[in-house]
Order: sequence, then structure tokens, then C-alpha cells
Amino acid sequence: MSDNSRVRVSIVGVVIVALFASLFARLWFLQMGPDQKLGKVVSTLATRVIQTESPRGEILDRNGKVLAQDVAAWAVTVDRNLRASTRDRVLGQLAEVLQVKEKTLRANYDSVRQSPLQPAVVQLDVPLPAQLMIREHSEDYPGVNVVELTVRKYPYDGYGSQLLGYLGEVDALSKDQFKQLQAKGYRTGDLIGRDGVESAFESVLRGKPRRETVQVDPTGKQIGAPISVDPGTVGNNVKLTIDIKVQETAEKALAEGISAARGLKNEKITDHYETLKPTGGAVVVLNVHDGSVLAMASNPTYNLSEWVGGISPDNFALLSNPGAHNPLLNRATDGQYAPGSTFKLVPSAALTRYGVLSPSQYIDDTGTFRVGNTTFANDNHAINGPVDLQKALTVSSDIYFYEAGNQFWNSWKAGDTNRGLGIQAVASELGFGHSTGIEIGDASGRIPDPAWRAAYAKANYKTQDLINQYSVWYPGDNMNSAVGQGDDLVTPLQLANAYATFANGNTTHVGTVWTPHVDESVTDPMTKKTIKRYTRKARGTVQFGDAYGPMAAGFAGVVSDPKGTAFDAFRGLSLAGPIVAGKTGTAEVTGKGSTSVFASYFPADNPQYAVVGFVEEGGHGAQVAAPIVRQVIESISNLPITPIPTLKTGKD
Amino acid sequence: MAGITASLGRRRVGADTSVFAHLDLALLALPIAISSLGLLMIYDASRAETARAGLSRFYYVERQGAAIALGLIAMAAVMAIDYRRIREAWPLVYLGVLPLLAGVVILGRNHGGAQAWFQVGPFQFQPSEIAKVAIVVAIAGYCHQHRGDLDAWRVAVAIGLAGVVMAIVYAQHDLGTMLVIMVCAAAVLVIAGLKPVHIGVLLLLAASLVGAAVVTGKVQAYQLDRLTSFTNQSTSNLSAQQQTAAQFNLGASKSAIASGHFEGAGFGRGLQTRNGFVPEQHTDFIFTAVGEDLGFVGGAALLLLYALLAWRLWRISLLSSDFFGTLVAIGVLAMFAIQIFENVGMTMGIMPITGIPLPFMSYGGSAVIASFIAIGLVLNIHMRRFS
Repeated sequence: MSDNSRVRVSIVGVVIVALFASLFARLWFLQMGPDQKLGKVVSTLATRVIQTESPRGEILDRNGKVLAQDVAAWAVTVDRNLRASTRDRVLGQLAEVLQVKEKTLRANYDSVRQSPLQPAVVQLDVPLPAQLMIREHSEDYPGVNVVELTVRKYPYDGYGSQLLGYLGEVDALSKDQFKQLQAKGYRTGDLIGRDGVESAFESVLRGKPRRETVQVDPTGKQIGAPISVDPGTVGNNVKLTIDIKVQETAEKALAEGISAARGLKNEKITDHYETLKPTGGAVVVLNVHDGSVLAMASNPTYNLSEWVGGISPDNFALLSNPGAHNPLLNRATDGQYAPGSTFKLVPSAALTRYGVLSPSQYIDDTGTFRVGNTTFANDNHAINGPVDLQKALTVSSDIYFYEAGNQFWNSWKAGDTNRGLGIQAVASELGFGHSTGIEIGDASGRIPDPAWRAAYAKANYKTQDLINQYSVWYPGDNMNSAVGQGDDLVTPLQLANAYATFANGNTTHVGTVWTPHVDESVTDPMTKKTIKRYTRKARGTVQFGDAYGPMAAGFAGVVSDPKGTAFDAFRGLSLAGPIVAGKTGTAEVTGKGSTSVFASYFPADNPQYAVVGFVEEGGHGAQVAAPIVRQVIESISNLPITPIPTLKTGKD
Repeated sequence: MAGITASLGRRRVGADTSVFAHLDLALLALPIAISSLGLLMIYDASRAETARAGLSRFYYVERQGAAIALGLIAMAAVMAIDYRRIREAWPLVYLGVLPLLAGVVILGRNHGGAQAWFQVGPFQFQPSEIAKVAIVVAIAGYCHQHRGDLDAWRVAVAIGLAGVVMAIVYAQHDLGTMLVIMVCAAAVLVIAGLKPVHIGVLLLLAASLVGAAVVTGKVQAYQLDRLTSFTNQSTSNLSAQQQTAAQFNLGASKSAIASGHFEGAGFGRGLQTRNGFVPEQHTDFIFTAVGEDLGFVGGAALLLLYALLAWRLWRISLLSSDFFGTLVAIGVLAMFAIQIFENVGMTMGIMPITGIPLPFMSYGGSAVIASFIAIGLVLNIHMRRFS
């Protein structure tokens, strides 16, 4: 080797020594030097807030029985960013451990109801052995986690479903609604009450969400433990006025009544034999002294548990199928029906108040009533003979009330609109034609009057001739109104509240219209202390005056007098139980079977509860609705339940 | 040749003893020790990634282990052949590597912005790694052939040999490897007796080439970004999203090393390593795992191992029985030194970010095998210095 080369090799050596020296020096200064903030560069990186919902408050019945609660459930999740081959292998392994079909897991993984950004929940309610298996062999299950989720549980699943309401993800709402909710702190995937109590008491039930501030790298991956944690708070409990025992009875009675009605002849069809085809019904039980709802049944119904974790498309299709008659509808608050003769409560009060007929005045019920060219008849063409107010109610004389309706019309025609629309005025006082103000919302119903008739004609007919023709307020319109037929529409809740109003005025003959409500109190889930107790709210009073006695006697006679329309349905109850007062109704519906209605309160001498039953296409009030109501009354009175008989015929 | 005569003069008794009696055990042990540490650190640095991808925790470790085994076999094979045969066959070595390099440009899979692989079964073979060693052998062989007679024309030929390979590697967008090859070729040429005036001309030429490349946009934006990010490191006022990927890499890398302090967080305890916070940590940024988990003690110890390795290579360049041996030892020394300095320097923010692996440490089969082959060559030179 030349000396020149040796020199150059030495120079290379020096260069390399210099390079290593600079590396050592840099390493020293980086790790041991004064500039120690470098090690904390991480903490100045991006942060993100992870928000998780706190457990939702419980819904309890008046006795503290849990109707809906959040409980912890162990779930298996699978990460979204696994390679396809790994994911397939993992799902196969999970199917074996969880003893479910791989197809099911895959369907859950692919379900559109799951967020594409979060790990997919492939199985809920995972048993402990499977949890342990997965946790102990975590390396065999890449991307798989066993996590604790809270899910809504319904100990009385299937009862009070429409009343309680289901939960849905906020994402399912419209864009505008979602935006408004975002401003209130809701995030994608959060649950919100979509109906009933869950919706009406959303702000009470929803807790303050847990918020974790975490550090993320540019790919959005979390680094280390959260920087700060706001643990949030659990939602408050809502205690309802509902008695789940009565609720259960009401729903079972309703279902039994509907089932029984399927075996009854549809008497509106005269040319051949056909049974009734009831499509649904409702029962409402109110405390007459404060408007609190003890039970609110609606049939057909569904199980709230179907909605937990998102309702399956199959179940949703079933619920929304027209053939299922809309199980999601709360018929107690939002079903609008012609009330039939149960509506006679209203003209009975109006007659006396406006001096149209004195309660003791007799009308000869000849079975028919003619106005102009039209003949109106009693149901079943019954001839009741001379009837006063009390008897007219007991035997359900339509003729008596046709007479009344006609006389009101005459006053109206003579220009006395105040007196002429007396029935409508009393109806409004009793709460018909507008919302009752219940927390869970309800339909307003409809009490027709000349103004409504004109507006309806204007809205539905095009030519002025037709509008003029259909704007006319005929005597028949007013007469139909008087007996709850024609264009009258009420909700079961409105009817129950009207009878409750009558019932609570039994000593003063002045009834108080209480706002129906389901809220008993809001309680703290931790301390169990009451945060806020509901106080009853009066919406107004109704003067019954001299009519009260005859009306009360008439309603009592419906059940107790052998000539009463519901005598058979309540036969024997008074031996052991309370004396019931009520009114049957058979509301004719064009093109359909009649609506079977029974409105009542009890005990007749000292009323506590008002109970109302409706069955769509259920025939006579006494046939189906009255026996349903009887079962509910028996349940409240702790008596044995009388099976619903299949009467061959019935009277209105 | 004075050098050869001197070596021959120092020939020991017992000429018939096996050449393996003169094996440089230190040079054999150092790469094995470093690659063993490499396996540990790859395990540590790849856990977050394997967990995320649903792979076995030992996925990268197993593959790297296989590469080390293959590298040792390749090294033994290289040592079995007398290096003087390799010296004579340098044109074959050179011509052998050219089609491989050209092949990847045509057939290579598109990966990470650079086309540089052959897919061989489950493994990727990266010819540019082998090309580094081949270019050292070729230029050393050429210069040995024309030793003492290296005029401007022959220098031009030697540069041409390196230039062709560099051009193909550049076509694979592998700027880092191209620069390594350039440094290796330059080191060999300088030792081979490049005249100072040639050195000056070459430096000017290189500078103007780089300038032209940047001005005409031949350098990819991400390459420029990587190269310049180390000059603009104060990013603490920027959020992670505002930083370029390269600045983020650098910040993460530096903070990982800095947080190791003197004794380190302990193996497997480093927060940023454990959470996979440093990108490419089991490959190019493996030194950050050493820095965070093993601290200054571990980092310095690793650098010391590399320094010992460099010393053995440098020593052999002086002991070599022929000029070729000297040149190859220097070429291999330059190859390792520039890679170590560039790689470790980049993780600490004193060198620009390029995709150059840390020899024997970084995950990457081709680089490991090529590195063992290079060591094999130098061991070969050392143990046959008396034969």
C-alpha cells in the first residue's frame, strides 16, 4: 500500500471518528441535555374528546317497580381496520366460542345500524365462560374486545310499550333535528327517547355524558391514558303514576276482549253471517281526583326489547306493516274514535244548563224520530216508552237525545248561537276537541260545529255550489253530535278524563278537569331522594247543577238496573266489589264494524277511578268494552278476574 | 506493491494451517450481537403494529430471524471463495446486479412511493441493497486492475460504473440508497488515488447535478420535504395536523429518544414505542426504540458496537494483502458508516430523513443479507491475508 493510500485511509478513519463523535454528542444532548421539553412534545399534539353516554335514568311504576332501566351487558366487538383475511378467521373462531352461526356474526358486523367508525358489536350478552376464553387468548383474537355496554332492559317487556316509548339513535332523525340535538350535546350514536315517557322525559332521564380528553396522533389513534376525564352523571329516575299490575291486567283484558270479539257476529252485516274483525283497542284508567294515569293500554302492541341495539329490519317491517294495524300507535292518547252513546254525558249536562229539557221531563221514546225527510232510530230499533234523563241514560235512549239535539239546533237556527251550541260548549269544557295536556302528548279529537262544517266544506270541495251545499249545519248534524256519532271524534284519554271530571264533582255537582298525567315524581338515582314531585293541575271546572243527580243515577242504572245496557256485563260484581257507574257506547263507523266503548267510574257513591275501554270494530259497548273494563275494575279492587263472556247479542 | 511485500514478510509459520485460523472473531461477533439486539428491538417496536394488523406478535421477528440466518449462510458462502477470485470476477459481479436492478424498475411492485422489490414467495427482495456491495466490489476491482495508473479517463469509467447503478436506483425513487452508493464509490475512488483536482471537479459536478435536480423538479416533493424538514424542526407551536408527515415523524422520533433519558424506560416500557407512536419504528426508526427503552446507556452502547465494527473494518483495510482488499474494506466501512450516521442522525434530527436502514438493526431482509455478505467479504480479506 502506498503511503499516499495510507494517509488517505487515515483520513477516512478521522472522518469516521468525527461522525461517531457527533452521534454520541447529539445523543447525549438529546437525552441528558438541558432542552428537556422535547420529551413532552407528545402532549402538545392534537387532542380529541371522546364522549360516552352515562346510564339513562330508570322508569318506575307508582310502587317503585322498575319498568325500564339501563343494565350492563357484556358484548364482543371486532375492530373495523382488520385485514379481510384476519377478520374472516376471527369471526369464524368467535362463532365457535360463542356458539352462534358465523353468518349471524357477519350480519351484525356488516349491519348498517352500526357505526362504521367504531368497533362493530357482533354479539351482546356474552356468557362469562366465552368472555374468559376470549380474554385469556387475546392473541388468538386480534382486534376482538370484550366490552361492557349499557343496554335498556324492560322487566315487564310487552306491557306499556307505547306509553314508555322506545329509544333510537339520534342519527336516525332528520338533519335539522340532529343539528339542534348536537347543540345540546348529543353525538352520533347517542340514544334518544323517540316516543312516550322516554321522549317526554328525555331531559330528565338522560344523564350528563362522560367526556374523556385523549391525545391522538395524526391518524386519529389514541395515545396513552386520557388527559382529563369528566365522569358525567347518571340520569334521574322517573316514577310514574302507572300501577304495573293494573297496566298488565288492562292489556291482558284488552287482548282477551279483542280475541273474544273475533267470535262475535257482526250485526251490521245482515245478508250473511260474519264475525267481527277488531283491529285494536285501548283502555285508560284515571284517578278522578288528580288526573293521574294508573294504566294506559293500547292494542296491538309490541316488545320494547326489539328496539334494543337497533331494531332489526324484519321486526321493523312487521311493526310498520298495515296488516299489523300500527302497534306503535298509542291508541289511548292518539286513537281518535266516535264515542257513541258514552258521549251522552255532554248533552245531559248541557240540557239542564241551557234549559232545553228539565231532568225530570219525560220524552216519549217511540223508537224513531223524524226530522224533515230523515228518520232517526234507536239502536236495535228498541222502543223505550216515556223516558226522563236518568232512564234515557240507563236504557240508552237515542230518541231522547235526538230530541235534545234538535232543540239545540232550533235555538241555533233562531239565532241564539250561545244556547244553540250548548252541547259543543260543554264538550269543550269537559276537554273534548283539544289536547288534554298530558306529558306524553295526545291527539285533540274533534267536536263539530257550524264553523267547522263550513271550514271542512271549503277545504274539501272545489266549486262554490258544492261548498255552499256542504257548509249547511243540519239538525241531523247536531243530533249526531248529541249521541256521539257522525263527526265526533274523541280519544280514550279524553273520554276517561271527562267521566273523571263528572265523578269528582259528586258532592258539589261541580266537576274539576284535572290535567291527566303520568309523572309522579323525579328521583335521584343515587340518594333515592325525590327531586321534584308532580302537583295536580286543574284546567277548569264544569257545572252540572241539577242534572248531576239524575245523571249519576242514570249511569249507575246502566250497570245496576236490569234494564241497564251493561247490566249483564257487570252481573254479580256488586256482591263483592264496588258499585260501578258507566255508560255503554256503540259508535257506528262507515264501512266498518262498530266501535265498542264503555266509560265508567267507581265506586259509584264515592268515585275514585275512571275506567274507559275502546275496541275498534268490537261491536256493542256491552259486548266487549264493558267486560274489559270489568276486569280492570276487578284488578284494582283485588278481586278474581271474570273471563270475558261471548254474549250472543248486546244492547247499546 | 509495498503493502503486499510487507504483508508477505509478516507471514507466520505454519502456512498450511486453515485460513479460518486467521478469522477476525470480533468482526464476526459484532454483527451477530447487533442483529440479536435488533431482533429484540423489532419485537418491541412492532407490537403495536402487529396488534393493529391482526398479526402474530412475532411476525416481524420471525421474518428478520430468517433473514439473519440466510445472511449468515450467504456470509459463509462468500468467505468460502478466495476473495481474489471475486476480485478477478468483478465485471461478472457488476453485470450480474444490473439486470436485477433494471428488473425491479420494470416488474417491481409499487410500494411506499418507491419501486424497489421483487416478490419472492412471501418475501420481498430488494436488489439495491445487494447493489451497494456489488458497486464496492466492482469499483475496487476496476481500480485494483488499474492501480497506480488511474488517469482522468479511467476515473471517468469508474464513475460511469457507479453512475449507471445510481441512475437505476434513482429510477426506483430510492434517493437514500443512491446517496449511499455515491458515498461508497467516492470513498473507494479517493483511497484508490483520485487526484485532488479530480476530487474538486467531481464535487462541483455533484453539487450542480443536485441543484439541477431540485430546480427542474426531478426530486419528488416528499423527498425534498424529508430532506428539508430537519432544518425546520421547531414545530411545537403546530398541531399534529398542521405538520407535514416528515415533521411529525421527526418530532415523534426525537421525543421518543429524548424521553429515554439516561437509563431509559426499560425494555418494553417506553410509552411511545409501546403505543406505536413513532412511524416506521421497526424499520428506519428502530433507533428510537433503543433510545426510549434503553436510554443513553443503551444508545451509546449500540453506537459503541458500531464504532468497534468500524474500527475492525478500518484495521483490515490496512492489513489487507492486496490493494483490492484495502479498497473493499474501505468501501464497506464507508457503506456502514454513512448508513449508521445518516440513520441515527436522522432519528435525532441532525440529518435529513431518508429511507436508509440501520445496518443489522432495522427490519428488512435484503439489507441484512447484503450487510452480512459485505462483512463476509471483509472477513475473507482478513483471513486470507497470509495465503
